[in-house]
Amino acid sequence: MKEYRKLSIPYLVWTVIFIVIPLILIVLYAFTVGGNPVRTLNFTLSNFAKVNEPTYIRVFIKSLELGVLTTAICLFAGYPLAYIISRFPDEQQDILILVVTIPTWINMLLRTYAWMNLLSDNGIINGLLAKLGLGSLHMMYTDFAVIIGMVCNFMPFMIIPIHTSLQKMDPSLIEAAMDLGASPLQTFRKIILRLSMPGVINGIVMVFLMGISSFVIPKLLGGGQYVLIGNLIESQFITVGDWNFGSAISTILAVIILIAMRLMKKMDLKEADGE
Amino acid sequence: MQKKSKGIFSKIYIALCFAFFYLPIVVTIVFSFNSSKSLSNFTGFSLRWYASLLQNGEVVKAVYVSVTIAVLATIISTVLGTITAIGLSKTRKILRDAMLSLNDIPILNPDIVTAISLMLLFSSLGMEKGYMTMLLAHIGFCTPFVITSVYPKVRGLDPSLADAAMDLGATPFQALTKVILPILRPGIFAGILLSFTMSFDDFVISYFVSGNGVKNISIVVYNMTKRINSTINALSTLVILVIILVLVAFRILPRVHRKRHPEEAGKDKSRKNRNLGIGMAALAGLLVLGTWAAVHTSGASRELRVYNAGEYMDLDLLKEFEQKYNCTVIYETFESNETMYTKLLAGDQYDILVPSDYMIERLIKEDYLQPLDWDLISNKDAINPDVLGKDYDPDNTYSVPYFWGNVGILYDKRVVSQEDAAQGWDLLMNPKYAGRLYMYDSERDSMMVALKALGYSMNTSDPQQLQEAYDWLIKQRDTMKPIYAGDDVIDNMISGNKAIAVVYSGDATYIMSENPNLGYIMPDQGTNLWYDAMVMTKSCRNTELAEEFMDFFLEKDNALRNTQFVGYSSPVESVYEQMQNEDYEGISAYVPRVGYEKDEIFHYQDAETKKLFAQLWTKVKAQ
Repeated sequence: MKEYRKLSIPYLVWTVIFIVIPLILIVLYAFTVGGNPVRTLNFTLSNFAKVNEPTYIRVFIKSLELGVLTTAICLFAGYPLAYIISRFPDEQQDILILVVTIPTWINMLLRTYAWMNLLSDNGIINGLLAKLGLGSLHMMYTDFAVIIGMVCNFMPFMIIPIHTSLQKMDPSLIEAAMDLGASPLQTFRKIILRLSMPGVINGIVMVFLMGISSFVIPKLLGGGQYVLIGNLIESQFITVGDWNFGSAISTILAVIILIAMRLMKKMDLKEADGE
Repeated sequence: MQKKSKGIFSKIYIALCFAFFYLPIVVTIVFSFNSSKSLSNFTGFSLRWYASLLQNGEVVKAVYVSVTIAVLATIISTVLGTITAIGLSKTRKILRDAMLSLNDIPILNPDIVTAISLMLLFSSLGMEKGYMTMLLAHIGFCTPFVITSVYPKVRGLDPSLADAAMDLGATPFQALTKVILPILRPGIFAGILLSFTMSFDDFVISYFVSGNGVKNISIVVYNMTKRINSTINALSTLVILVIILVLVAFRILPRVHRKRHPEEAGKDKSRKNRNLGIGMAALAGLLVLGTWAAVHTSGASRELRVYNAGEYMDLDLLKEFEQKYNCTVIYETFESNETMYTKLLAGDQYDILVPSDYMIERLIKEDYLQPLDWDLISNKDAINPDVLGKDYDPDNTYSVPYFWGNVGILYDKRVVSQEDAAQGWDLLMNPKYAGRLYMYDSERDSMMVALKALGYSMNTSDPQQLQEAYDWLIKQRDTMKPIYAGDDVIDNMISGNKAIAVVYSGDATYIMSENPNLGYIMPDQGTNLWYDAMVMTKSCRNTELAEEFMDFFLEKDNALRNTQFVGYSSPVESVYEQMQNEDYEGISAYVPRVGYEKDEIFHYQDAETKKLFAQLWTKVKAQ
């Protein structure tokens, strides 16, 4: 298959232009102050020093927490769904996966507004409760509302990759395991989960990345007090116009995520090669 | 294949999950048929939003851009990503690891970072922003998702398969298409779905890398947030309908056909090839249309590029202007003055901008604007003298007023007593209303409230006073538990979700016309008076047309229709008076207070003060 080695060259060129150069630019901004970094080159670490402030650290921690929580819920709710879908006949699987995806083609802002109307104090759910003679629930501007909105938005990105890796799994492996006396739980752990690991990892990575850098959903459903890394960076770039500090925050974020992903991929390799 | 475990629990679980995913969609669809503007109170069945959708040329064009960009970006990035994934599995480990790590960067960077860096890249390459730059950016952020989906499948591929095919006489290309690609199919399918989704729903990156009037659905929606209405719900409903129809056509019809004519099953392959051919033809068609659109938007002889805040103009007036003066107006919108400035900074070219006072002051200082020839503005005498000659542009050398107003408190008359309302900014500290108020999520406006409540100037940079204002906001946060909201406050106050909100007078006018239980006060401690005005950039070449444009919006009839549409106070005196007696009779927010000595206009802040404000505000919100 050596013939195909050259196939990655076009994207290599693309990567250099559209990823590496912009990346260098951001890192350059992060390490300089004042004006155009390419022309002035005032190197400094002060942008990073500024991050070391209790408020910003709290923002980082809160974003990480929210990212982890959203990812965990998407994983535990999404895996069973992906698994159930993968047990359907082939043609139906594609349709079911499409049915999972279609909601994400409706503008995200609009879907979030729909959740606001469902959850708000005078909203649709409370209206129904009142008609049933029940008391009203306070749901808007709580962690609950934010998590609901994020999970609803990101779960398809967990389901699709997991389903992909489950789809072409050879069912005879499962039968063989069962025939050899493995309990359903053992079969799941040793065979199904093991074989779907690449998909699980892909799903975790995608949902976590989107969760940690999202800010529109938390802002609308949780209120402005939901300051997350995403809106910290956005406000530095747009409102404040301090691209240096904004770049520094996103550089730190990128490094944290890259380390986390390295660890995940190591796990993946161990799973694949191990035992 | 074993197809068990489709028990009752599985079915219930699928149903529950789908119900969860489709709940907001159902709400969206239901409210597309609402007879009123409300998004939470269904008042009756009507098709008015569908009618207004069809008349809205902006939305129709945006659908076209969104769909073609999503389809093209998906096709290109799927091909690019798939061949790259195959190639990568055969390259040296070091290069492969490096590429795979780099590949994650666009996924892990927050959108805004990717957006700004791509904007800078396109600007420094001297590329004109529009359809092409948007497409390139979309391919850029979609391809990594394809690689991420396809690569694990390639890794699991048995390399001897392709070798076997080639030993049996297949060319590498045949081995690729006949042996490898079919095995990778699930991964490619996932990649297609992910890229289409990411592309179709993207706002931030599209906004910053596009220009020249090229907008996708998200850009239109995000700039509509001030006056969100069901037109977009109607659009989404149509999108869903179209998707379902396409699915039915492609998925179910062939199967029915096959069932009826089983003898044709063997011809599946030729059908596949034919489908591929149709797909390619469609792609070519789209490309042609795409380039046509790109050329078409910048082809007219006389054109005017206008950059205004979102939902801040009656677009029918634009069409009339185009007809009257035989020109094309390329109209784009921004969400905030700062967003506009960021795009200017990147070298984007516009002829007319409609920024606020402090931003005009900054643009004058930084030499972005050119002086106007007031002789060409025949309706200049119609302008209310109260809105002329303000600090930001003392002689109106550069600016023609567009709308104006102040900031005040909107309150529910059934909940808040008259006496309490008269407390002005102190009402926001009244423990009776704890947990029932919205503050405006903007550092400048919130600090203004605190500084005014304390009796200071809102333009101060005195550290002592700023510290006190910060303490005021902290105390307010701890005792009052306010919600810091953006434009969503408009819809929320119309629905009556909370009793008190800090809002701009123009938004208050609109909210009060939708919800009669509300009152508006302009605090005695003084508030922010603001002016939005039309200015002409240095790069504007057809200055005469630009001045005709400004003049057009001062014409009585046009000014009347514009203020009726937007709800903000008109700078044209006769219109302003007429509205007070007709449409907005009794709505105090339409009549901003003038000549009150404690009211001020924002001044442009230097970089350090701005950073300090932002830092203090983050501390208030995040602690």
